[in-house]
Amino acid sequence: MSFRALWIITHEKGEQATICFSRRYPTVELRAKAYAGENYVAVPEDTAILCPLLTELGLTDPDKAFMVARDDCARSQHSPALELRLEGRDGGVLWPLLTMAQGGLILACLPLVEAPLEPRPPLPSLASVSLGLSFLEGLQIFLSGTTGKLELEALASKLALLPTVLLQVCPLGTPRDTPQVGVTAPPGPAGSQKQPAWKPGLHRGRAMVNVAVSETVRSMQYGSPTMQDQWDVYGTVTCKCEVEGVLPNVMVTLSLPPNGSPLQDVLVHPCVTSLDSSILTASSVDDADGSSFSGPYKFPFSPPLEPFRLCSYTSQVPVPPILGSYQLKEGSHLGVTLSLKLHESVRNSFEYCEAQLPFFNRGPLSNVDVKVSSGQLEVSKEKSMLVWVLGQKFPKSREVSLGGSMSFSEQLSGPTDPLCTGLTAYVKLCFRVPDLTLSGCSVDQHSVQVYSSAKPRITTSRELVSSEYYIWNCTGDAPVSSGLAVL
Amino acid sequence: MANVIPVTWSRRIPAFLLSPSQFLSSTTSESFLEELLHELRDDRTNESTKIFLLSPLLEYPTVLCPTPAAAEETALELLAIFNQVPHKSFHFKGQLMVAITSVLLCTSCMNSEVEVAKSFLDMVFQMIQDTNDHKNGQQFLSARLIACDCLREIETCFPGFLSQKLEILSLLKQQETTPLHQEYSLLYTLGLKNAIHHLCLQKGVTDAELKRTLSGNDTFVWNAFETVLARLPVNFMENIPVLQTSTDNKELKSVVSLLLEESYLLTPVSQAVLLRELIEIVAMVQALSPAMFKSQLLRLFGTKEITLLHATLLMKSTFTDSLFTTEDEIFFLKRLVGMAQHPLVNIQQKLFYVDCILNFPENRPISGNGEESLPVLVTPRLAASLLPTVFNDSKTMLSRLRLLSLVYMEADESDDKGVGYLFSHLMTLYKVVDNNSKREMTVTYFRATFIFLSYFYHNLKFIDNLTNNICELYSRHFYLAPNLINLIDKIQECLEESGWPIQLLKTLQRLIVELPLPLMTLTNLKWHLKILSRVSRESQIPPRASLCFLLSVLINSSLCKTGGWKMGNAVLIVCRNLLQHPSLHQVFSELADLLQYLMYNYEDTDIQDHARFYYTLLNNLSQEKLSGVLAKGPDVERSAKTRSLSSMVPESDGLSNSLTVYQTKNRILKLTRVQNIRTQTVMQKSKSEGHGDCLTTYEGEYVSTGFVSKMILEYHLIHVGDVNALYNKLFSICLHFDLTDSCYEKVSDINIPCLFKSRKPPVVRLALQPRQPYPTHLHVCAVFSTDDGMSWYTQLDDLLVSFSDLFVPLPVPVNWTQESQEQLFDHLWNSMCQDNFSLKASSLFCFDLGGRQISDLVEENFNPYLISKQPEKKCYKVLFYLPPQYHLLLKIVNTEDAVKVHIATDNWELLPFINNYLKTVT
Repeated sequence: MSFRALWIITHEKGEQATICFSRRYPTVELRAKAYAGENYVAVPEDTAILCPLLTELGLTDPDKAFMVARDDCARSQHSPALELRLEGRDGGVLWPLLTMAQGGLILACLPLVEAPLEPRPPLPSLASVSLGLSFLEGLQIFLSGTTGKLELEALASKLALLPTVLLQVCPLGTPRDTPQVGVTAPPGPAGSQKQPAWKPGLHRGRAMVNVAVSETVRSMQYGSPTMQDQWDVYGTVTCKCEVEGVLPNVMVTLSLPPNGSPLQDVLVHPCVTSLDSSILTASSVDDADGSSFSGPYKFPFSPPLEPFRLCSYTSQVPVPPILGSYQLKEGSHLGVTLSLKLHESVRNSFEYCEAQLPFFNRGPLSNVDVKVSSGQLEVSKEKSMLVWVLGQKFPKSREVSLGGSMSFSEQLSGPTDPLCTGLTAYVKLCFRVPDLTLSGCSVDQHSVQVYSSAKPRITTSRELVSSEYYIWNCTGDAPVSSGLAVL
Repeated sequence: MANVIPVTWSRRIPAFLLSPSQFLSSTTSESFLEELLHELRDDRTNESTKIFLLSPLLEYPTVLCPTPAAAEETALELLAIFNQVPHKSFHFKGQLMVAITSVLLCTSCMNSEVEVAKSFLDMVFQMIQDTNDHKNGQQFLSARLIACDCLREIETCFPGFLSQKLEILSLLKQQETTPLHQEYSLLYTLGLKNAIHHLCLQKGVTDAELKRTLSGNDTFVWNAFETVLARLPVNFMENIPVLQTSTDNKELKSVVSLLLEESYLLTPVSQAVLLRELIEIVAMVQALSPAMFKSQLLRLFGTKEITLLHATLLMKSTFTDSLFTTEDEIFFLKRLVGMAQHPLVNIQQKLFYVDCILNFPENRPISGNGEESLPVLVTPRLAASLLPTVFNDSKTMLSRLRLLSLVYMEADESDDKGVGYLFSHLMTLYKVVDNNSKREMTVTYFRATFIFLSYFYHNLKFIDNLTNNICELYSRHFYLAPNLINLIDKIQECLEESGWPIQLLKTLQRLIVELPLPLMTLTNLKWHLKILSRVSRESQIPPRASLCFLLSVLINSSLCKTGGWKMGNAVLIVCRNLLQHPSLHQVFSELADLLQYLMYNYEDTDIQDHARFYYTLLNNLSQEKLSGVLAKGPDVERSAKTRSLSSMVPESDGLSNSLTVYQTKNRILKLTRVQNIRTQTVMQKSKSEGHGDCLTTYEGEYVSTGFVSKMILEYHLIHVGDVNALYNKLFSICLHFDLTDSCYEKVSDINIPCLFKSRKPPVVRLALQPRQPYPTHLHVCAVFSTDDGMSWYTQLDDLLVSFSDLFVPLPVPVNWTQESQEQLFDHLWNSMCQDNFSLKASSLFCFDLGGRQISDLVEENFNPYLISKQPEKKCYKVLFYLPPQYHLLLKIVNTEDAVKVHIATDNWELLPFINNYLKTVT
């Protein structure tokens, strides 16, 4: 349950790749050698790792259309573990290399295989693999924060901290934790109660608990008799608890409205102390499980110091919040109509709401003659997209429409997309509604129980945001977004 | 803080870490290590520099300490430094502990014979017991944490080392209330597991022995270091040794339950590690019931942590139905399916969950039939939510496609709705590629096609459709030719019985030959030729159409004028393949016409020559002979193309491969000495008979002309021990010698045709021409090729040329009488002893015979150089000629108390070497 080596690599679209951090664990290597026997392949020096790794990730030679080493169709690309073919004829194959690539950052980790390498053991039989995946995820958050955006200066300062962090979490190759973004609190006086290893210090000061429920809605609407519309909702409950004590007890209760459909796929943070089996029963995998449990969902836990995701869930809501219909008509001009209807159960109070109508594989917009019934229409700077800003409210009828025609100049080429050709086009909706959840899930301020001497200040909040909310043109072919709907 | 790292180190350390081998080519590991240690000992060096300086030792201890002795010494130094570091420098102290552990473990210095290992371990164990650290809080905690980790690593590498310390470890684990209790729990659990495993391997263990182990409070078990890594093979649970104790072991039971109960207090990563150890313990001890884990199951099922779910999967595969009911099982599997598509789980983890579903350990598994057998519980209905879509990233899409292909392949065959969906997905991808997608998508499409074909190649309903689609794709995007050829090659490799590749190639051939000529550009033609050359390799496809097409292209386009060497070669490859085609006789005249046309009309001379060569072959050789001539080398790996002259292909991927000179990892060749020197004695018969003034004759005729200026050393070139079979046969070996000083003339390269392991080693004659007769050493390297046509570079051990290697007998014709030789000796002797102002010198060396016979000694060492022996006088005259033109004369006289060697030479600078030589001889 250890790692043989770790690497951090930065690159710009596969070029100028450099290893900006690496760490090898020679004592783990010793074990790797003993387990692998004659199939042992040593971890190569840093100079020899870069090229095979980038090849495996498909990042080498961007100007070459096809290279067997990179693009071979029989290469198994479906596994999270890469096979690195090391250079030189007796270079051998390094397996299983776990990587995580985001933006210009590649994190890689070589877990120890505690079994003979021949025949190759299945990945789930290797303990170190999940440790590696979890460690890389932690490392990623440590280096670039939860937003995932990479800033070089911030990265450099994080990298400078890394040796110290690794000494704490993984000094000899066996991790005891994932890298944490410095939560520093003085350790409490050793009392009779054992302090959790995930809580390095104690909170002192005013007590407060904040619980935020955030739901994300995704949708694919086709407006077609052959293709079923799709939508789903997933939610997360984030907590920040500043409560005194070594292991203070807090209980958060999620409740659903009387006719609400049960929360599915509930996943909880490891600090939750116990779970009722009925909470876990509902699953999105089987469509009608007949579970009638609809809360309350009780989560007793002892909070860590930092903000954390208490639980997440998915939910099947009966209707999408905004139903749309999009039609394009090709002629001398491109005719466009779009109508949107806000469902009556949704609170008509947005923080923002806009519809984006991008046009790919055509020239820039030259002539736009489009009217909207409400809100304002803008043309993006690149002249390749209409942006319909709907603002904070739908009109009383809860229906808005857009209609007109436009033309494109032929000379210059605009943005391209291989999926959206011809009349295959979409509208993307972006909105956020504060103080609302589609599933109806909520946390009552008074239901949050804190078993502690000081009475804490308790705040709760709710929100609904959209993500991947698409309305496809019903006169063109639209790609299938879920096999489930087709079968 | 003045924590700036000096520039020299901030450059050198990263350079070392980037490539130790390159770094050490300019210095030695000893001197680098010495520098590091020196700097670490220096009080003026700041702490962050010191931490930085430790990194080479942390990562490459075996490179810096190649021998146990060096490791021991280094560890001793580091330990001394450790003892002087104040407590507040806990970070540096921690790194030092890690460094010492790494150095000792990696160089097999962890044993009771090594003092430093003992004292280090005693100290570390002392540290973890010293829990009275409340005053200094954080600093001590950090140091203790590292100490625990060091012990855990040692116990992991050498299981059982702590097996007699369980009581104290248990106590420490219980007492600790700071977050460090995690480290103590892990250390104790690992020790416990290894101790139980050790008991399991013994026969007839009683309850009392188990009890004794639990309450053991003895010394370290040093002999644990003799058995390396006898860990449980967790994947092969049936092989788990079992401890059969008769009674219910309450003590052990309570230990395990307590650990489980408190596992909640550990970080998820450590919890997973602890759970795995506990699973192994429960699996080994029959008296412990797997039901102990029952209370944890719900918490584990609900977790978002991948490590904990993975540990649960291990629990499942270990205990199956003794812990998991049928409902639990299906619930768990559903949970995994849910995770594999969860919007909040990252891609890599989702891929891992798909792998977990494929390898789900069922309570009642159907006996393993083949590698890829799907768990029965994974039904089309369960997996439906994992159907791939174009909105997936490439890896997720391929992983899902593979899973679903397996599901539908095993499902009811009459219902092909599922396969239909997968095919329609492939068609969506096809459209995306057709719309000039990015390279990544194109590659993904071909990978998806490969996966689909490998499961459903027999399903004609879809396959015909697929063939037509791919051809259409090619007709619009000729540049996809390499992708297509790759797909065809791989399908042919994996599915030998499938006729699909031939079907596709035939359709492609038809497509190409029917293309309208006027629209043919050189770029397009390049791709068509690639496809046609692949088509021409298939014996089942009639080649006539390709040939007619080529001829008409050559005649009707400007190809001959503007095509250049590359295009010409592409045409020739097709011809070459056809020369080996079984139905060559049917297209004999067409091929001949084509070659003739090339020969007369193609601009490039090389192409003309090749065409002429093929034409001659075609006309003069029978088909069997032709294929014999053109066949590629025997038994060569597919990927490694032989560089046969007739198949030199410029753009093939193999070419850069075969033009690269690889470097061997280890030494594979060495030179061993055959016999002593032979001078290049081109002795002609002397004109004069050596009478008269022999010194003048000698100096005039032989020495001044410098004809004996070379010495030849003979070596055998042999393999070093057991090398990789790849190197058993080496060809065209070129040995290159580099001088290390200026005392010799440059040595030219030596070529050896071949070296076979099974045959006698070849003799290498190394001719050295000294400018000064001093001993030296030469760097040697070799470049050679192996059987498969690859070129290699390797380094050999340095060649040593000792002083005695330089000795040459008196260079005079054989017909010189002994008398003349003696005369010459005396002349030389006198001239050297008289002249005090030049380089000439004389000296005396005495030694004790120590019971040996003087005659034996002389015979053994000086025989070829002996000028006269007068046993009665006990005086021997010895003359060494030292190229280029120096002499060393010895008069050996045996007196009563010692043997005296009078030395005379015409180069006094040689005296130290002479002295050394005589010392070794006597």
